[in-house]
Amino acid sequence: MESIQLDILTISGSVLLIATFGVVARRGFMDWLNAYRHQSIVLAGVTAIIGYVTGIWEIYIAAVLTLLVKSIAIPKILTYVTRRLDIEFKTETNPYISLRTSIIISALLVALSYFLTQQIPFRSDQVVNVLLPVSMAQFFIGLFVLVNRRTVLSQVVGLLIIENGLFLFTMVLTHGVSLIIEIGILVDILVGIVISSILLFRIGRTFDSLDVTNLANLRDD
Amino acid sequence: MYSIAEILIGVIQGLAIILLSPLITGIMQKTKARTQKRIGATILQPYYDIIKLIKKDEVVSDQSSWIFKVCPWINFVALATAAFFIPLFLTYSPFGLAGDLLLVVGLFALARFFTMLAGLDVASSFGGLGSSREMMFSALLEPALFLTIFIVALTYGGTNLSTIVAAVAGATLLPHPQLIFAAIAMFIIVLGETGRLPFDNPATHLELTMVHEAMVLEYSGKSLALIEWSQAIKLMILLALVVNIFAPWGISSSITVATLGIGFISLVAKISLLAVIIAYLESTIAKWRLFRIPDLITIAIASSMIGMVLYYL
Repeated sequence: MESIQLDILTISGSVLLIATFGVVARRGFMDWLNAYRHQSIVLAGVTAIIGYVTGIWEIYIAAVLTLLVKSIAIPKILTYVTRRLDIEFKTETNPYISLRTSIIISALLVALSYFLTQQIPFRSDQVVNVLLPVSMAQFFIGLFVLVNRRTVLSQVVGLLIIENGLFLFTMVLTHGVSLIIEIGILVDILVGIVISSILLFRIGRTFDSLDVTNLANLRDD
Repeated sequence: MYSIAEILIGVIQGLAIILLSPLITGIMQKTKARTQKRIGATILQPYYDIIKLIKKDEVVSDQSSWIFKVCPWINFVALATAAFFIPLFLTYSPFGLAGDLLLVVGLFALARFFTMLAGLDVASSFGGLGSSREMMFSALLEPALFLTIFIVALTYGGTNLSTIVAAVAGATLLPHPQLIFAAIAMFIIVLGETGRLPFDNPATHLELTMVHEAMVLEYSGKSLALIEWSQAIKLMILLALVVNIFAPWGISSSITVATLGIGFISLVAKISLLAVIIAYLESTIAKWRLFRIPDLITIAIASSMIGMVLYYL
């Protein structure tokens, strides 16, 4: 029984890693948004599995909330806000590091996170052992996506992946913080997305571009 | 030592790959035709093609050297030899004593090397194009392939195919998450090695983008039949490897008629299913730009790297 639980946890962690790589390996905003949606669905599944393994029923509610907010609400809002943006704002034509190099770097980041979590000397159960490195890998990959992409729109996606990683991190370490805090964080993310998407829409209108390098320049008119 | 019956079954396994391989190609062509709303030729069409080509006369350029003439034979012999090392419906092959997975990869490389030389030999511009592209693909696919092989070999204790397949048949997939990543990498590698769609369009003969067809453009008659047949054998070997390493359900581990029959039927069903899936996938995507191909191969390399990390966890 114990070993079957461990197997299910390991397999679900692997699937989550694969879903995270979907964000790195594609170009174009709509592709990322779809990858993020798939990743959130997998994340909700992993959360439900954690709930099953630990036997705490509140985690199931957190899983359902994750599914509703992250895989339905946030992609819908982002699609709605960006529907009037020009198509050239939505495709990442030249990130700082090429696609193939960033895939290799992400694989190295996964290795790094496994290495780092093995250095932490604390007694832990199997949930922590299996899923903590996965959550850290998600965090690192999100950070990498954030610094690698040029447009503001794609940096929002990086932020969302980091948030997913943090969510899994807390869920693994604490086996579910109290439900109020969980709901608070989700609402926070939702509002953050709304504000940032309005902001980037206005940036696009004012500067005629969403490239972050243009934002650092002084205006010369 | 192996008994006479085991050696006989080993020979039958090798011959089954060689004889059934055009059927798999036929199934893929039929699936592609059906997804394009065509009726398509019968699934036996590759056999008819090979028979027709053997009956035809051969035209050889007077500028070509002996390499051009021996290439189809080396191709066929190398791949047919590789076929004998593959456990098909019995968990081991008696010829496994002579060679392992690395030898199979080496034989693939030998066949590919001579195909590239033959493409360059006749000095047509198409041949040169095809050879240089094929060299690029093979140089990039090699690390991914070896990392994947090492994952499988480390997990199951050895590169000998009989050891691997016997261990796979006795184990469940669940305790080995690294095999999921190895399977993803292996699927991309199979597409690349056999020149399926995102890498190369096997149905084209008249495009500047072709890779394998560009190298063998000058062949006709018996030589073309051999080249086509060995290409089909390569596809069948790789599909059989994928099926037997990652989905070994139904394979027979003892020599009785009943289990061998079940093993054979389930193997043919699984390989056909995989072929249909690949053909369906080919219908839904277009050929990629040549310089985007490394992106796809990088995904295979990254996937097998993560598999390695998970193994040493």
